[in-house]
Amino acid sequence: MGSDSSWLRDLGLAWLVARAILFSLLGILLLVAFIVFRRWYRGRYFARLNTRTVALREQWADILSGKVPGSAWRLNALDCQIVEDILLDNIEVSGNDQLPAFLACLRNSGLLDLRIREARSTEGWSRRSALLNLGRTRAPEAVPALAEALASPSEETRVAAVRGLGRVSSPKAALPLLELFVSEELKVPEHTLKNALLNCCRGSPEVLIPYLNLANGRTRELIARVLGELADPSLGEELLILAADPLPEVRASAARALAKVEPEVSFPVLSTLAVDTEWFVRLRAVIALSSLEHTSKVHILLRALCDSNRHVRQRAAWTLARMQQGKELILEKVVATHDNYALQAFLSELERCGSLDAALDGLGNLIERAPGSADVENVAAVVREHFAAPGKVAGAEKVAGAAAGKP
Amino acid sequence: MLLFLQISNNSLFVFYLISNLINLALLIVAIYMNTLHRYRLESLRLEGIGSSPFTPPISLLVPARNEELCIVASVRSLLRLDYPQLEVIVVNDASQDGTMRELRENFNLHQSPTLYISEIATAPVIGIYRSIEHPRLLVLDKQSAGCKADAINAGINAASSPYVCVVDADSILEKDSLSRIMAGIISDPERVVAVGGIVRILNGSIVEAAELKEVRLPRTHIEMLQVIEYLRAFLVGREAWAAFNLLPIISGAFGIFRRDLLLKIGGFRADAVGEDFDLIVRLHRYLNDLGVDYHINFIPDPTCWTEAPSDYKSLARQRARWHKGLLDTLWRARDMLFRTRYGRVGWIILPYMWLFECLAPLLELLGYATIILAAVLGALSQHFFIQFMLFGYAFATLISVGSVLLEEMNYRRYGSWREVAWLLVYCLFEHFPYRQMTMIWRLRGVWEYLRGDLTWHQVKRTGASTSPTP
Repeated sequence: MGSDSSWLRDLGLAWLVARAILFSLLGILLLVAFIVFRRWYRGRYFARLNTRTVALREQWADILSGKVPGSAWRLNALDCQIVEDILLDNIEVSGNDQLPAFLACLRNSGLLDLRIREARSTEGWSRRSALLNLGRTRAPEAVPALAEALASPSEETRVAAVRGLGRVSSPKAALPLLELFVSEELKVPEHTLKNALLNCCRGSPEVLIPYLNLANGRTRELIARVLGELADPSLGEELLILAADPLPEVRASAARALAKVEPEVSFPVLSTLAVDTEWFVRLRAVIALSSLEHTSKVHILLRALCDSNRHVRQRAAWTLARMQQGKELILEKVVATHDNYALQAFLSELERCGSLDAALDGLGNLIERAPGSADVENVAAVVREHFAAPGKVAGAEKVAGAAAGKP
Repeated sequence: MLLFLQISNNSLFVFYLISNLINLALLIVAIYMNTLHRYRLESLRLEGIGSSPFTPPISLLVPARNEELCIVASVRSLLRLDYPQLEVIVVNDASQDGTMRELRENFNLHQSPTLYISEIATAPVIGIYRSIEHPRLLVLDKQSAGCKADAINAGINAASSPYVCVVDADSILEKDSLSRIMAGIISDPERVVAVGGIVRILNGSIVEAAELKEVRLPRTHIEMLQVIEYLRAFLVGREAWAAFNLLPIISGAFGIFRRDLLLKIGGFRADAVGEDFDLIVRLHRYLNDLGVDYHINFIPDPTCWTEAPSDYKSLARQRARWHKGLLDTLWRARDMLFRTRYGRVGWIILPYMWLFECLAPLLELLGYATIILAAVLGALSQHFFIQFMLFGYAFATLISVGSVLLEEMNYRRYGSWREVAWLLVYCLFEHFPYRQMTMIWRLRGVWEYLRGDLTWHQVKRTGASTSPTP
């Protein structure tokens, strides 16, 4: 062995390479050993977890009622984790009537206090984990600890706090979010914040209004977007003001929200928003109009069907094709717009909702009554181009035939 | 002569050493990033993405050419994905088999007069079809331009969502893969412009009714070696490069992109040999030219299962084509090299791709030749030669074992002891003789490219995604 060693040393570079080989082989062995050990350890851990879960589930009613004292499971890490997981899973699916019993268990065992302390005093992953678990408890006393974490210098921690507050799902949890956000001190991804606000303000959208009035720019747009999702008829007046906002995103959100307001109030505003300068505002207005019951909406939708933006046209076509009133009359009006894009969009939607045949049949009757007009020629051309393949759409043959003056 | 051989051997040694050290660094970064991702996932509720009204819609683009064996299964699988606002656009690229017939018969397609605006120029679209049963399905029937890129571009034109996800027709996405990949965008929608997911090998797994029922390892050596190769490439390479915003490629089999950006750069380049690599390099170029802050991300857990070549001939063709694509794209992007405007892309990843990916087979071949020559002429110790080879082999195997470790720690798609043992065993063969085989195939790619042979050779498919394996 000694002679081998001196021989390698004499080789200089070769000795270095030999050592590199040894280190590589050692590295491979260590990685393989780690994989084997980890698999073995996980197998053992899950077996224990399974056994303890069964044991704790057998005593579950007593644990929940406090007959089994918290100290019996709280001080064992595995038992504590199992009980906490079960409690949090139950809280997530429980109604307000079942919640107090689960919260009482969390409080009486001291587990809630432990998580609050962790959320305040630890750092890194344990803090984030504590924040998320605190949110899942839906306990009101969790809100201050979660709110404190919004000021953390770590973005990951702030995100965990926002998600935690979102899971509390109460308007009180929305307040720290809104206060910091409006003062532009909260830097988190917008999607996370919007979802948290959505969860917290569901059922109480009026909480957003004062903050919306204080906010500007992007902040105002985001709050308006959440409001657009949550608004209810009680916010009618506020929404009318927002519909005249200089920010297009706010107008679009107002349009979305106006779908939930009385048609008498919302229709005039939506009619105006349907000719807005921004296409997405027009689109939102058309979507809102589609859910309103109002006799005059056909005219607005026909105008939207000729919009320069294809999304607006498609949505208007979608709504018109699904309206209850006579499709042939609407089709006739669409033809009268002299807009082939509009006609194509409408025919396409009629086909998708299975009404094309009936509409063309009705239109054939109309053509027979008033043959020879330019409009009729126009629709006949489009129908021939797209639908008049033999047997494809029965009404198409009738339209094409009627336009050509054949019986 | 001897001096030349000595210099050549020393250069080769330094090349190997640097290559291995870079790979080791990538492995360490990848272990950190994978662990970080796993922790982040714990706080993210995927079902929240599914139920949120703020989740952006996605158009799934499925270019299909002669895919009659798997198209129906793939489309069914895509229509069942868990994502709130999803549109599936299949682009039949002038298939000469029964692809279009299969689609018509199985999805009750009807020609639809949907308006199609060719924002990116493509070969003519001759028919647009909608499914009566599946309103979210749109099928474009187009003439062929002889490339997949053109079909994808037609899909981009027809898409109505702000994000488009490109998926191969012979691939199966896991049910939550779109939610998972979208998590990479919604965490920072201002900066993240594209995200790639992991592609895994479907061969050997049990698939029923277009759903992956049980993940299993493939049966043949060539497929097993590709499993290891994919794990190393995705879990180590892409994860680590993405950490530094240096991701050079998003697989054409599974990636998501901002549609507006694709339109601005003219979509996928129709004359590119490797359109996926070319697109990412052009995105880097465009966004650096604009001077905007952006990120091209990789997320390791949204999984796309795809059929890998199961015979040597098909694999050789595929690898030759990939290498032609690499060479083609790097050559087109040569003006980005070492330019301050392109930052780390021009200074780090493109030089790396030139040296350690594109030229590696040539350098390896040259190295093997000079080492053997030097050994024959007595200018190199035979002991040293063997040691050097062993070092290269052992170090590279270490990286492969590291990728199996990453798989085992974070994703565990291969659950049994037996499967993990097989993965570890095949790590021993990835760098000998598989690496040398791929070297020859890649050299063939270089030769074909230099000859101007840019033909797309169809890879033989067995339809692994449609039926259970025996």
